[in-house]
Amino acid sequence: MVLEATMICVDNSEWMRNGDYAPNRFQAQADAVNLICGAKTQSNPENTVGVLTMAGKGVRVLVTPTSDLGKILACMHGLEVGGEMDLAAGIQVAQLALKHRQNKKQQQRIIVFAGSPIKHDKKLLEMIGRKLKKNSVALDIVDFGEEDDGKPEKLEAVLASVNSNDTSHIVRVPAGPNALSDVLINTPIFTGDGEGGSGFAAAAAAAAAGGVSGFDFGVDPNLDPELALALRVSMEEERARQEAAAKKAAEEAAKEKGGEQQPTSQDTAMTEGPSASAAEANEKKDDLMDDENALLQRALEMSMDGTTSSHDMRDTDMSEAAADDPNLQLALQLSVQEGAKEGNDMSKLLADQSFVSSILSTLPGVDPNDPSVKDLLASVQNQSEVGFVHCFELSMDLCGVEHLEFYYLVVMGKISKVVLRRRNVLL
Amino acid sequence: MACMHDHSCEDHDCSSNWSLYKHIDLSKVSALNEAFPGSVKSVFKAWEQRLNFSEGHLESNDGDPELLVFVPFTSDVKIKSISIVGGADGASPSKMRVFINREGIDFSDAQSMQAVQEWDMVENLHGVLEYQTRYSKFQSVANITLHFPDNSGGDTTQIYYIGFKGEATQLKRDVVATIVYELMPNPSDHKTKANSSGGLSHVE
Repeated sequence: MVLEATMICVDNSEWMRNGDYAPNRFQAQADAVNLICGAKTQSNPENTVGVLTMAGKGVRVLVTPTSDLGKILACMHGLEVGGEMDLAAGIQVAQLALKHRQNKKQQQRIIVFAGSPIKHDKKLLEMIGRKLKKNSVALDIVDFGEEDDGKPEKLEAVLASVNSNDTSHIVRVPAGPNALSDVLINTPIFTGDGEGGSGFAAAAAAAAAGGVSGFDFGVDPNLDPELALALRVSMEEERARQEAAAKKAAEEAAKEKGGEQQPTSQDTAMTEGPSASAAEANEKKDDLMDDENALLQRALEMSMDGTTSSHDMRDTDMSEAAADDPNLQLALQLSVQEGAKEGNDMSKLLADQSFVSSILSTLPGVDPNDPSVKDLLASVQNQSEVGFVHCFELSMDLCGVEHLEFYYLVVMGKISKVVLRRRNVLL
Repeated sequence: MACMHDHSCEDHDCSSNWSLYKHIDLSKVSALNEAFPGSVKSVFKAWEQRLNFSEGHLESNDGDPELLVFVPFTSDVKIKSISIVGGADGASPSKMRVFINREGIDFSDAQSMQAVQEWDMVENLHGVLEYQTRYSKFQSVANITLHFPDNSGGDTTQIYYIGFKGEATQLKRDVVATIVYELMPNPSDHKTKANSSGGLSHVE
């Protein structure tokens, strides 16, 4: 959160037409400039950023240091590429622009994009560097584009003469598949000096990694952390289930051929059932409970048909409530286990009245001593699918449909797994 | 520490005269061309400590003797004289120029601007020399900028102590930050805790 005024020196020389950075060097630079401006203004609202071009007809200040992001983005638009870069003049004009900043309390920083060969000699650059240091101006250099013979040494020399206390940095970005801005996000140019990354940088990194929507599953972790967490967890659970199913199929194909093929196909069909339901759970809106009910009923019928004992229905969905509640945690651990464990454990647990009633007591609005709940427990122990449906309906009644979040106890017939699932129902 | 003035010190305590250091806003003290950022704060201390070099000192960058020190005060002060303890072997500053109540001066400004007062300095290793000011010009000083353009021949300039003698008034000279002028009062701009957090009175 350092209060800073930054001048960005953009290289718009002829060398920027080259396409070794996608789409061309100049565009890559423009993207990087936009990202830097965003990062600076986000880390401290009073920060100001200005832009100047070093090539073309001469050094030209496009925007004096301002906190208005729109102005900066607009000026990057429609810039022409041509001419030769004048690094020394560019840095000096940047220093002058910073000197006349409105808020004298801001620290001064210059960010230089050095893409073309440098025609000045080292001595001159070092002198400029020393002058910057004397006036406590920090300098960040982005070395990309042309790899001239003397360029790295010259830039290193400038950095050495400017650097006081590691406030100045140099970043070398070679041409490659990664975009210039992606490489820069992880550098101290973005993250600031030892601040460990502003929120913007982190979000931008997520955007770079996440793809189209900009965030995993299209949900901003900042806006809705619970939903994002639930989605991420279902995804992991889905992946785990599919891996287990594949493993199961491999095992069973190895163990028993022919006769077992039917159950395995049912197995996969069954896993598809819950996976379909899990996919539905990933929908953010309009997941009607009726759909869910129907799907689970179908899944249950499939489980009734299945003969082999050791397939698992991985209808698990780890809610963050599990972290708090040891009962829930236990239930979830058991539910995520590999199919090697027999369903007996679960039935034993279910037989344990106290365990189930303790789980039920954590559900809001459920009173374990309620006669209907006791009936439910009895029916559950009989391991009939009717019990499942009852349980589902019961919990809905108990919790009240009008609650935005509710818990329902899913007991899968023969498999006898106790799973607690928490759903956000968006009305 | 016996003060080496040519008067007897039993009558008054010399150090109390140099007590303006208490009115310095140390967090906002800054210097340009210092070798170690932040080292400038160590030169403002009590008069008795002026030869105590253990806390560190202010040094300019190698090969560049120029120094610029910005000193804001917590209230307006009247400065009678200034004392500087420099380094040995030509590391003492040879000239001092001061500017009053100007913020954000850098080297190019300092070199071009007319100083309020300038002194030629001599080596003052024990801090017994003081440089008198033209008192009328230093009547209400909110901040002072000291510019040392050169030293007496050394590689760097070192300063161990800067002391100010004078009086502190209780007045504060603050730049008015934000003023909002209203032609007509708008109640929504004047939300008080009672109003916004559900008291009986509710202003829309």
